[in-house]
Amino acid sequence: MAQTEKFVLNMGPQHPSTHGVLQVQVELDGENIAGAKPVMGYLHRGIEKLMESKTYAQCVPLTDKLDYVSAMNNNLGFCLAVEKLAGIEVPERAQFIRVICAELNRIASHHVFIGSLTNDLGSATGMIYAFRDREKILDLFNIICGARMSCHYPRIGGVAADAQEEFFKLTQEFIDYVPQMLDEYDKLFAGNEIFQARMKNTSIISRKDALRFGMSGPNLRASGVEYDIRKIDKYSSYDKFDFDIPVGTTGDNWDRYMVRINEIKESAKIIQQAMDNMPDGPFMAKVPKMFKPPKGEAYHRVENTRGELGFYIVSDGTTKPYRVHIRRPSFINLQALDHMCKGMLLADAVTAFATIDPLMGEVDC
Amino acid sequence: MGIYFDLKYFQQLQTEFPSVEFDAEEKEPKLYVSADELLPLMHRLKENSIWAFDRMANITAVDYKEYIEMVYILYSRRFDMWLTVKVKLPEEDTKVQSMTQVWPGTEFEEREIYDLMGVDFINHPDMRRILMPDDYPAHPLRKDFVPLQPKIQGGVLTWHKQKSSS
Amino acid sequence: MHNGILYLAGQGLKDMMLPIIGSELIVNLIMTLICIVIIFLLVAVSALVFTYGERRICALIQVRIGPNRVGPQGLLQSTADMLKLLTKEDIIPVGIDRWMWVLSPILIFIPSAMIYALFPFDDGVIFADVNIGLFLLLAISSQSVLPFLMGGYASNSKYSMLGGMRTVAQMLAYEVPMVISLLGIVMITGSLKMSAIVEAQSNVWFIFLQPLAFLIYMTTALVESNRPPFNIVEGESEIIAGPFTEYTGMRWALFFLAEFANLLSIGILTSVLFLGGWQGPDFLPTQLWFWIKAFFMVIVYQWIGWTFPRLRIDTMLNFGWKVLLPLALINLLLTGIGIYVVNAL
Repeated sequence: MAQTEKFVLNMGPQHPSTHGVLQVQVELDGENIAGAKPVMGYLHRGIEKLMESKTYAQCVPLTDKLDYVSAMNNNLGFCLAVEKLAGIEVPERAQFIRVICAELNRIASHHVFIGSLTNDLGSATGMIYAFRDREKILDLFNIICGARMSCHYPRIGGVAADAQEEFFKLTQEFIDYVPQMLDEYDKLFAGNEIFQARMKNTSIISRKDALRFGMSGPNLRASGVEYDIRKIDKYSSYDKFDFDIPVGTTGDNWDRYMVRINEIKESAKIIQQAMDNMPDGPFMAKVPKMFKPPKGEAYHRVENTRGELGFYIVSDGTTKPYRVHIRRPSFINLQALDHMCKGMLLADAVTAFATIDPLMGEVDC
Repeated sequence: MGIYFDLKYFQQLQTEFPSVEFDAEEKEPKLYVSADELLPLMHRLKENSIWAFDRMANITAVDYKEYIEMVYILYSRRFDMWLTVKVKLPEEDTKVQSMTQVWPGTEFEEREIYDLMGVDFINHPDMRRILMPDDYPAHPLRKDFVPLQPKIQGGVLTWHKQKSSS
Repeated sequence: MHNGILYLAGQGLKDMMLPIIGSELIVNLIMTLICIVIIFLLVAVSALVFTYGERRICALIQVRIGPNRVGPQGLLQSTADMLKLLTKEDIIPVGIDRWMWVLSPILIFIPSAMIYALFPFDDGVIFADVNIGLFLLLAISSQSVLPFLMGGYASNSKYSMLGGMRTVAQMLAYEVPMVISLLGIVMITGSLKMSAIVEAQSNVWFIFLQPLAFLIYMTTALVESNRPPFNIVEGESEIIAGPFTEYTGMRWALFFLAEFANLLSIGILTSVLFLGGWQGPDFLPTQLWFWIKAFFMVIVYQWIGWTFPRLRIDTMLNFGWKVLLPLALINLLLTGIGIYVVNAL
């Protein structure tokens, strides 16, 4: 009699498609997955603890290292939380510049998503195309703040420096290029039979499950829940821009991909509006050098590229935060991994890792 | 930014759960509850259709040296409403009911709090360390935490208290 | 009767040696040895050229530049890589099945090199023109599944094991439609001899007579040689190179060499079976025609590989059994009807 038994395959932390140092213990029955358990902590740096020993201004660069492909959004989230705690009004020009940077960063982050997804699907060509376009955005960041990835550009009370004409000109060039770029992606990936076969109806998360797992961001919207913090909380003058929330229907890998592609379109729309209506004025509010927020606590969340990024800050009235907690979207989204992989094939597990888009810097914090 | 939980609901809850406390003077009062009544209160907050707090927006713990405070920030998608619920846990008995019974999506976050803050969650499906090594002897986010020195003795990794240098 | 450059050169060498040595048997033996050396040189050199070629073509498709530092235009890059691989540490993992593990990379190279003996390179230049040529060729090339399985099994690694298992599944699913699609050619030619197949295309190439078979053959050839998008055996992003996971240095290079030898051989085979082999208009020598066609097909295979994502194993097996096999059978039927009609006219 032939006997079969399940075996555990350790994918990662050294594996080309686990996006950093995620380890997944995949329980396999032949090629079929019976369960997938994520194991984390390989990139744990104790950022929350580190922040307790740094002043508020010194904390901002630490947030760069959370989700290192969307640093602007992290900076923005932390700064907004501190501003809420201290009651600082940010000048409108700074808010607009912040929005432009955050949305550019969103596009860049989705480029990484597209690149790593297509690479995991076995087409390295896709990755190079996506990274070629991401490079353009990183060059824009280079112009505006001198850094490409760890930007540290939004500061408490505004932004580090005013945006110059050159930045707006080049951003405009990039925005004009976006439709052509998306067209190329559509031809290369979305129109591809094999790509569709790999993506459609695989790793489905239903609307109910997505809410149950506390997911957020594009992963939640792909399951058909219209939940976007930019629309709900209207932070950093997002209420002044007209944009749609792309949602999916079935919550499969294909929807998670399409939602992100559509988000790039919406982000481009927001950037265009922000540039057209850019107000004049100061780029920084008056923040004292010895910045001491009043005693208290504040929670503020932003729509990071991966979902709902929240900062909970407790202040004891000194220059350093008493406690900072970061609600990391990738970390919470990862709870759905087991559900996504069950009953799929090994090749689908790789697609699931890619479409859930965890970033280990953020997961391990 | 949404609205905050209405004051009249606080009073309503107070009649139902005697341990509920809040500071009525504050603009956005926090709701304090005892650890025993936390679970029924949370069930009530989630399932009552007047509030429908369907999202656990943030769950964390803060070490105030004498006690550890659990902070639950709830959000209602339907009414765009916020509420902060707090539980004070004495240093010697840091046990609280797991919120996975109400919001299953808090599993990893509670594991993280257990790992870093040392709060035990009752009825949690998978209570293990999540970020630190499985046999790590301390909880790093506690205020009295002193970094431990890793040392390999006989092929086994152990941790030792650092000699105080500063 | 034959007038290809290579044939004339070989004949000239033979005529030169015969008066010196005297015995015709020894001359033939020497000629055979020379042929073997030539084949191995061809495989080795083609792998060197192809690594460079593939990387440059891949770079062209991927909007990159590719290797351009070592030597003029990076031409010596593959030589440098080969030297690096030769000097690498030979890591032998603990817990492997030693003999199988060592044999696997050597065995994988044998079928890839052996089938070169059956290719008609030029008019009259074929190292072994046996009368079951095509059959032998398919039989030999399908042997490459065994070393893969051996390597996968012997490595004592789960990734390798999965890769080895995948090889068997895909070989079974794609060998059958491949053979059946080629039967049409055999029916038209009336012979399994490779030289006869080429000569039968002197008027019209088989790609025009057998377009369906051509497409089926192209697909199955990609699977046979583990090229993307059918490289599920290697599957870098899932099972991390499958059977090769535990191999390093020269052992890995042998797998690599075999892969490129396979790529060239499917290029040659496609041009021989469907594009008229060495035949072509008179303004170019026949030998040149042969290589132009072969390299053109290789580039086409690479182009396909660098454009598409990888298939999933179940989709791929379904495609083999449920689409390609019926299509190949239909092709066979149509060919039979065609031959019957032509004969009746």
